[in-house]
Amino acid sequence: MLPAQNPAHSAGLSYTLGMGGIAVIAALLTTVTGALLMFYYEPTLSGAYPSLVFIDSVVSSGRIVRALHYWAAQVMVVAMVIHTARIVFTGGYRPPRDVNWFIGLGLLLVTLVWNFSGYVLRFDASSIWALLVGTNLLKEVPGIGSTLYLIIVGDQALGPATVLRFYTWHVFGLTLLGLGGIGYHLWRVRVDGGLSRPDWTAGQPGRFVSRETILFREAMMALFLTGGLIILSILVPPQLGPSADLNRVGSQPVQAPWFFLAIQWLLRYVPPLWGGWIIPLTGLVLLALLPLLDRRGPGRGRWFARERWQPQAAFAGLLLLILVLSLLELFQVK
Amino acid sequence: MITTQHALIFLLASLLLALAVALLPWGQVEREWQAYQRAYFAGENTAGEAAVRQIIPRLGLDGQLTTETRPELCLTCHLGLEEISPSHPVETFGCIICHGGLGLALDKDQAHTGLRPNPADLSIAEQSCGQTGCHAGHTDPSRNHLEQVTRSLQATYAGSIALVRYTFGAQKDLTPHLGIVGAVDPQPLPQTVPALAVFALTPDSLPAETQFAQNCLEGGCHLTEPASFQPYRYRATGCAACHVLYNDEGLYTGSDPTLPRDEPGHPARHQLTTAIPFSQCNHCHNRGNYSLRGMTFTPRPDLPPVGAPLPATMPPEGRRLREYYQPIGQFTLCEWELDCIDCHTQAEAMGDGHLWPDQKTMQYVQCRTCHGTLSEPPATARITDPNDPALRLARLNGHYSLEVGDEVIVTERGEKMGGVQQRDGQLVQFGKVDGREYNVPLVQGSQCQQQPDQQESRYCHQCHAYER
Repeated sequence: MLPAQNPAHSAGLSYTLGMGGIAVIAALLTTVTGALLMFYYEPTLSGAYPSLVFIDSVVSSGRIVRALHYWAAQVMVVAMVIHTARIVFTGGYRPPRDVNWFIGLGLLLVTLVWNFSGYVLRFDASSIWALLVGTNLLKEVPGIGSTLYLIIVGDQALGPATVLRFYTWHVFGLTLLGLGGIGYHLWRVRVDGGLSRPDWTAGQPGRFVSRETILFREAMMALFLTGGLIILSILVPPQLGPSADLNRVGSQPVQAPWFFLAIQWLLRYVPPLWGGWIIPLTGLVLLALLPLLDRRGPGRGRWFARERWQPQAAFAGLLLLILVLSLLELFQVK
Repeated sequence: MITTQHALIFLLASLLLALAVALLPWGQVEREWQAYQRAYFAGENTAGEAAVRQIIPRLGLDGQLTTETRPELCLTCHLGLEEISPSHPVETFGCIICHGGLGLALDKDQAHTGLRPNPADLSIAEQSCGQTGCHAGHTDPSRNHLEQVTRSLQATYAGSIALVRYTFGAQKDLTPHLGIVGAVDPQPLPQTVPALAVFALTPDSLPAETQFAQNCLEGGCHLTEPASFQPYRYRATGCAACHVLYNDEGLYTGSDPTLPRDEPGHPARHQLTTAIPFSQCNHCHNRGNYSLRGMTFTPRPDLPPVGAPLPATMPPEGRRLREYYQPIGQFTLCEWELDCIDCHTQAEAMGDGHLWPDQKTMQYVQCRTCHGTLSEPPATARITDPNDPALRLARLNGHYSLEVGDEVIVTERGEKMGGVQQRDGQLVQFGKVDGREYNVPLVQGSQCQQQPDQQESRYCHQCHAYER
């Protein structure tokens, strides 16, 4: 996938932060650990939670595998957000990389849903709360809401079908979309002429880095990441809350997964259609519009290029808003 | 080209990964359950393999036989815990059906989520002992123990509440209206009350009622209230108050490594029994005296420190004699030789589903039940029905045998007392706690001149009081 020689400018950590690579490695780690978890996880209403307890308690190395799955998934989200920021702040979304920008946004979306469905499959008290809120939001979509709900939930209310559907999507549909999307995304990088960089300056010799060097860097990154995640998993294993009771859902304050805290905050103060759909989708559309609004000109391939300050400012504002809302929600619940 | 820098980075990355992998076993340091199993094997002086112990109960959580029960790992930590009773084999029932909790967890906090440490507490017994099909929901009301116990005086304490309220002018007569627990009897008898409301203090309560509630009802005499944890008084609540035995020190003596042996407040063993010795009854009864005037409780002063050795001059039954009755009490030989349950029936102790107004009215076994009177011998009846409840009680008790065709004493309410049997023309009583045999003398043909209408024990005590 890599050419024999690559421009040195965009091959260094100081430019890429390595976040795309980290996200890919994390995705592979979640896939491997997820496959291992599938040997024991039971996607039924009454069996899901006990099977996780079993994995944590009894299965040899079960707790560590589940912890690794969890942490790799969290790292994947964080890495993708930073990766997205890097693209914006270096102008990497500009044509010809605009298609890959859309693919990337799609991958971000897939990752969030992937992560959310994993959160739901835990099936403890807080995760079914998130499931209830999340699925009820589906009903808010004008026109097709109830059909959408039926497709995703599988019944008129949360039940056995829901768990199975989330499971199937989590381990099959979203994995296919995610891994397939990653593959395509990487291939597109090559097709689009490598990572973004400034135009060649005439007369100056280009500096290149070999394919082997980049591969070495990626491999080292994988080693460091895997080692770090294993240590993190040992030190901070993910918790499992009390078991879920569908009849008592919502009777206690619980938090959405951290990456949806901002939406949870919005839902407190604005109608669900706005808080759950229109505002988040507007943010997404704004991101998608970036390569259409800012297409060419100087400033490509440089961090924080002044020539492109508007899109960067808009993006920073959006990120800040999400951060502030998330923090507000975090402290609201506490 | 591989440079020194490359090699260093690779070394560093490999070291980190190696460190992480090396830490893996540390992340799984000896689990709590492994430590418990080690303690168990050490305590039992046996070599055993530390392994997860799993039970797949035959009963579902709804009490029905099913093949779809979940494994329960509770015995992994509670290895050596006594089986609760032969009627509740753990292989059939598992643990969760009574105790709740998460059977698949091996982490203490997680496993004990939703735990019912004492499933027999009346507030939750409906989920355990009192599940439909267990000790509730039968067409034969005498098998609906939870319902009967909840209406019994042991739970309602209605008689004493009525007495106190009547004495201090809070009600006009001795008819009970209030109980520690509220209860309704849909088919009351002429002598019983149809319903009891919950006794609760209100701003209008008399000072005496408040004192009564504070001094007499706490740590005291009814099944819903936890006992005050002090020597001679340890007991559980609900069904377990009687059916789970505590020793006087409140110390656990079984083999469960998770239960401390030196922490008072635990049952002697994790076992249910219907062979309840006097000592268990004594943990509530015969503890001391209540003063109606002062609304106070005075513990009896004559009990030696628990575990104190018996004086050398004391007969083998010395402890029993010493602890059974207060010094002021009068009693006959059989009243201390036997255990309480040898005379007092299931209905007397656990209720019969009616709301009896007080102890005196609901207690009906008297000396004459077994000894007869001058005018008539004790009533007996032959067991003819293989489903006779007396047979079941004998089987559960295990200390005496009873078969169809046996002739046994019948109480005035028609209950067959399987422990007192006619054998070769002689009435024989079998101790329900130890199986000892006693010949039961009859009034007829003896020198006794007691009038048939004077049968309360105080009349018998006049001649038969036992001297300590």
